[in-house]
Amino acid sequence: MTDAGPEQANADTRPLDHSTTWPLFFRLRHYATAVWAENIKEWKLELTYPLDFLRSLVDPVVYLLPYVFYGIALVGGRFSPNLQKLVGTTDIVSFITIGYVFIGFMNMALWAMGFSLRKEQMYGTLEPVFAAPVPRWVFTMGMSMHSILHQFLMILVQLLFILAAFSLKVNPLGLLPSLAMIGLMLVALYGIGMIMASTTLIFKQGWLISEALGSLLMVVTPIAYPLAVLPVFMQKAALAVPTTYGILAARHFLMGEEMGFSVLTAFMRVAVLCVVWVVFGLVIFTAIDKSTRRSGTLSHY
Amino acid sequence: MSFAATAYVIRAEMAKTLRIYFAYPIIMVYWAIFPVLWVFPFLFQGKAMVGSTTSAAFQQLTGSGNYMAFVLIGAMVSNFVFSGLWGVGNSLREETYWGTMEYIIASPTHPLVVLIGKTLAEAAVTTCIVTMQATTISLLPFDISFTVAKVLPVMLLVVLLMVGFYGFAIAFAGFTLLIKEVHGWVHTLEWVFFLFSPIRYPVQVNPIASFVSVLIPLTWALVAIRGIILLNRRAVGLWRISGILLAMDAALLVGGYFTFVALERKTRRDGTVGMH
Repeated sequence: MTDAGPEQANADTRPLDHSTTWPLFFRLRHYATAVWAENIKEWKLELTYPLDFLRSLVDPVVYLLPYVFYGIALVGGRFSPNLQKLVGTTDIVSFITIGYVFIGFMNMALWAMGFSLRKEQMYGTLEPVFAAPVPRWVFTMGMSMHSILHQFLMILVQLLFILAAFSLKVNPLGLLPSLAMIGLMLVALYGIGMIMASTTLIFKQGWLISEALGSLLMVVTPIAYPLAVLPVFMQKAALAVPTTYGILAARHFLMGEEMGFSVLTAFMRVAVLCVVWVVFGLVIFTAIDKSTRRSGTLSHY
Repeated sequence: MSFAATAYVIRAEMAKTLRIYFAYPIIMVYWAIFPVLWVFPFLFQGKAMVGSTTSAAFQQLTGSGNYMAFVLIGAMVSNFVFSGLWGVGNSLREETYWGTMEYIIASPTHPLVVLIGKTLAEAAVTTCIVTMQATTISLLPFDISFTVAKVLPVMLLVVLLMVGFYGFAIAFAGFTLLIKEVHGWVHTLEWVFFLFSPIRYPVQVNPIASFVSVLIPLTWALVAIRGIILLNRRAVGLWRISGILLAMDAALLVGGYFTFVALERKTRRDGTVGMH
């Protein structure tokens, strides 16, 4: 309307989220409530299908075993002299298990967060969720909180099974520093998850982006092999992926794998990746969210 | 319904499924490239564990030390199984999401006929994708060659494998009507195949996996296909394995049909077709 005054124009562009005018503490509390509510909603949805929930706890064990058996078939036993030469450890079962246990968090970022908006769209609830008086990133953070908790449960089952079936040889003192590194890795993965969630708004069939990126990251991340066996360009790409440091450091602390760089360097690099991925993720998410709403394609399939 | 009307519905369903496929052309590109990419971690794992492109331990188990060729053939053949699982097994759940499930159930066509249309479309797309993969792989230095003498018996084995597997997928589609949320179950089944059939590793390495694998048609098909492509053992065991696959096909088709009909009837009687 051409006769609308400047006040009217401002009112039209003002964010719906009025909490942005609140003091910081109240604003954070408001966001935390929304994150928790989203987390609870996801748990309720998940537990509505109890069989599916039980299956999701058994899945990680089924995922892991083919990789372990493949390694045993290659070597003809549990210990590989070639692995010893490359990273200073021979036990392929412990090596592969630790790699696969922690890569689960990457799937969390790519799948749970990446697919979250598409799921809401399928349920027909995307528009009400987006109309809620909180920023959109709060919504994806709630999704990621649920996924992280779920992932920890899955890891617990995976470790219990492997401990019972094979005697996993790890250094218990390495557990705390490993978890510290995994915590940092999760922050960086949240940034990647934000990008994944936003691409769904444009491409709709978001699973494809998650699958494609997941497949690429599974190749460059040294899950069941050390970085040294990758071609040079892949080794360089691996250094920009937080899961590389998470897995290498976890194996370093738990079973003495030689990383090729110091522990301090690993922590510093992941800290930098956290900042880069989270900022990049938020910028991309905000830009795509704005563009989708402007073009009116939010509800398109 | 007359035969002509049934054929018309099957053709219409095929056209619809293919149209949906081509509405997202990137999906075709994805399926042509990524299943091959998934094999790379196994190549790197092999390099890390044995330090070369052949393994003596692997040779003892499979007859060939070329573990890369082993995994690549597994990846290509399993494409048929997994696309059937997703494309057919999960298809009715997708109709529920699209809001078109009730229309299919209310139409004067048996849902099984609709599923046959979906199955044929899925088979056509997968065949194109695997052909593209095989062409790419034969150009790469993995010591895999596809001559006509090898391809013909392999095609026979794939057809025998898929006939039975689509029977299983149809039963699974009935299961989706009952329990609704099957996305995760499809993933689990996928991994059960990875664990209990020699897609990625020789199952003889574990006695339990080896025992269970005998019940899965994919195991028999993969053993015969690898024998033909990797070991040039064209005649050995081909007819015996074809016979075993035929028997499994008959059991799976009949079992799949009755399971689907029973589950579909139960869902209608319970009035839960439209539920999510």
